[in-house]
Amino acid sequence: MTVTSPASDVALRTEGLTKHYGDVHALVDLTLTVQPGEVFGFLGPNGAGKTTTIRCLMDEIRPTSGRASILGMDCHSQSVEIRRHIGYLPSDLALYPNLTGKDTLTYFANLRGGVDWSYVHALTERLGAELGKKVGDLSSGNRQKIGVIQAFMNRPRLLIMDEPSNGLDPLVQREFQTMMREHVGEGGSVFLSSHTLSEVQRVADRVGIIREGHLIALESVSSLRSKAMRRVELEFGTPVDGSVFDGVPGVRDVIVEDHHVRLSYDGTMDALLRRVANHYDVVDITTEEADLEEIFLTYYREDVTV
Amino acid sequence: MLATVFTKAVLDRWRGVTIGVLSLGALLLMAMSIYRDIDLSIYTNLPEAFLSLAGIPPDADIAALSYNAVYSSYGALVLGGIAIAMGSASIAGEERTGTIGILLGNPRSRTRVLVAKAMALVLLMVLSGVVLWLAGIVSPQILDVSVEGMHIGAFVVHLGVTSLFYGMLAVALGAWTGRTGIASGVSAGVMVASFVAVGILPLVEGWEDAARLFPSYYLASSDPLLNGVDWGHVALLGAASVALFALAVVGVNRRDLRSRSVGTSLVDTLRASPVTARVAERLAGSARVSGIAAKTASEHQGLLLIVSMLMFWVMGVLIGPIFNAIEGYAADFGDVFPDEMLALFGGGDISSPEGYYQIETFGMVTPIALMVVTIAVAAKALAGEEATRTIGMLLANPVSRSRVLAEKAATMVVFGVVVGLATFAGVAAGSWIGGLGMSYGNIAATCVLATLVGLLFGALALLLGAATGLLRLAIFVPVGAALVAHVGNAMAELNGADWGRWLPFHYYLGSDPLNNGMAWGDAAILAAVTVLLVALAFPAYARRDLRQTG
Repeated sequence: MTVTSPASDVALRTEGLTKHYGDVHALVDLTLTVQPGEVFGFLGPNGAGKTTTIRCLMDEIRPTSGRASILGMDCHSQSVEIRRHIGYLPSDLALYPNLTGKDTLTYFANLRGGVDWSYVHALTERLGAELGKKVGDLSSGNRQKIGVIQAFMNRPRLLIMDEPSNGLDPLVQREFQTMMREHVGEGGSVFLSSHTLSEVQRVADRVGIIREGHLIALESVSSLRSKAMRRVELEFGTPVDGSVFDGVPGVRDVIVEDHHVRLSYDGTMDALLRRVANHYDVVDITTEEADLEEIFLTYYREDVTV
Repeated sequence: MLATVFTKAVLDRWRGVTIGVLSLGALLLMAMSIYRDIDLSIYTNLPEAFLSLAGIPPDADIAALSYNAVYSSYGALVLGGIAIAMGSASIAGEERTGTIGILLGNPRSRTRVLVAKAMALVLLMVLSGVVLWLAGIVSPQILDVSVEGMHIGAFVVHLGVTSLFYGMLAVALGAWTGRTGIASGVSAGVMVASFVAVGILPLVEGWEDAARLFPSYYLASSDPLLNGVDWGHVALLGAASVALFALAVVGVNRRDLRSRSVGTSLVDTLRASPVTARVAERLAGSARVSGIAAKTASEHQGLLLIVSMLMFWVMGVLIGPIFNAIEGYAADFGDVFPDEMLALFGGGDISSPEGYYQIETFGMVTPIALMVVTIAVAAKALAGEEATRTIGMLLANPVSRSRVLAEKAATMVVFGVVVGLATFAGVAAGSWIGGLGMSYGNIAATCVLATLVGLLFGALALLLGAATGLLRLAIFVPVGAALVAHVGNAMAELNGADWGRWLPFHYYLGSDPLNNGMAWGDAAILAAVTVLLVALAFPAYARRDLRQTG
């Protein structure tokens, strides 16, 4: 595959990215893009290949085949230049325990250059971070706040974050999610690897689901949810014969109780309504959309071909 | 396998202990085979005072010389070092890694954990003793060397008990403070100071008995190799070890446990005080995180300070007046000391200040001091950042791997030079105070060559860390290589063997720089190898996948 769009049009692109450790295929043929102004949620259980992907993007490890680029620059050959424009928060964050939060931020600010300290102070205030204490003496949540601040502090164009909410309390998580949305609102992008499905559902525009190193789904959150199995309750003006739903693609588990019908449905509402409206008066309809957690679990429970 | 705290403590350490003890066994075999081939009559003319000081029996034979050369110097340091490492890690190590909480979350009391760890230390010391004893019996049989009248078992008992004492000292300090740095640093300091004091005090008139205050006095002063176990000495050290352990039990039960805490240093206190905050902030805060090199330097500044002070005051300044105090003895030695023996220390005249400084300061202590600093900085430079998983954050900044390596290598060089300068300043001051009239140029030349040797082994650590990311490998391989090279070089000098040219130490004191001045060719060879090793580290580091854990 060749890069067709101009470099700056795409925040992140991987093409056939593959990483093998001997016989272990940690990542297989990963191809995806992240657009400017987008939060991309990268979902998968432990050991699925999320961190391997991020470590390839950060040039910590080298892919067995394929390539990755960030802001049009190659992740290996131009990795130093890339790092001027990104913010990174690794999973299971490790910092220098003997440095205070302020020392840590000063160190990275010196290495990065161009950090506006008034912005750092604003971020510190928003997250309620403690910068005066040594990092080794902080709780994991307070340490994570230092990690979040350093990722945002140089106003990066792309944020790469691996399980960023680890240890953060719900209030801080909310604030952090707002920060991410503000970031993309200003034209930035976020590559967010997470287990916290509610968070991804709340902030992500698109998601990629990875299993055993393979990307098994890549869609917008709304489209994924619209396609997913949902619970539907229909109320009719007259008692209903359940056979009317026979042969409607995507309909399952039909329970008929006089005027009421409950069923599970995977498809567009239009197809379902056309069928029943031909036979009965539909008085009311209630649908309950599947949340990301159900979709996620469906992908992992079912033997999805990878 | 990990059924108990005791078995885990043993399993955590057995590899290191096995490597250390087997290396000593191999060194003994090597030393014995070399002593077998040289003319031992060189020892027969030595003065009795010297022989007793060195633990060499008057009717010196191959076995006694070998046991003394390997077990009482390298052996005592290696076994003592292992005991200190184990002892300091017992409780304080679990606190440092933050595992103490989960360990004590199980139904085990602090006392029981401490007892298990101490028992593991005792067991490994006993097993080490058994292996050293076996090596001491097997080596002479392989080489057909007579060991008649030798009590190698007794010698090993003294060695084991002395090491155990230092280990228990570390246990006690760790139990009271919860800090591995204090436990291992103070214990190692006591051990080294004890070695130096026991070597020097018996020669200083009026101070002979003061040596008894130092634990290492009880290692060989009773000459157990010839006289068997001195049960009084063994009981004394044993009782002291038990007392230290009892103190440790009291200490660990009295205080609050740390949880991965990093402690509060003097600098932290100064930064917290409004009076000193501005100055301290500048020195300790913004300055030390101004860049990779500055940050690396700040991580090791304590080690640098201690080693530099030791080299300046103890091994430099102090030796001058000590030489004056014992000049009478030294002159006696000088008259009868055979040249072959002095070759061990790079030649020279022991009755001269140069010869004395060579033996006390430059022969062994200076390269060790330099290597402690250069290997520590170099091994932790790259492999250390991988072990602590901070490399990901560091390289998330716009700095290349080459820049990280270059800045850390530069820090290592600066540190080596600082120790070299401290040694030079100390020896020059010692010579001036003692009115010894040594050539400052020659002292400088020797320090330059010593620094280059230290940097060479540091560069090896850097290369190994760059190529593998494995911290233990980056530390132990250069240390092992240095040990083998040092012993090998001493043996080659003694034997007049040509293969000594392949060992770095040949280019350090081989030209007797303290008397003859700078050997530019030797310096060039050491510098070239160092540069080559560092140069090889760049492609090795740039090419590989970084580890997530060390």
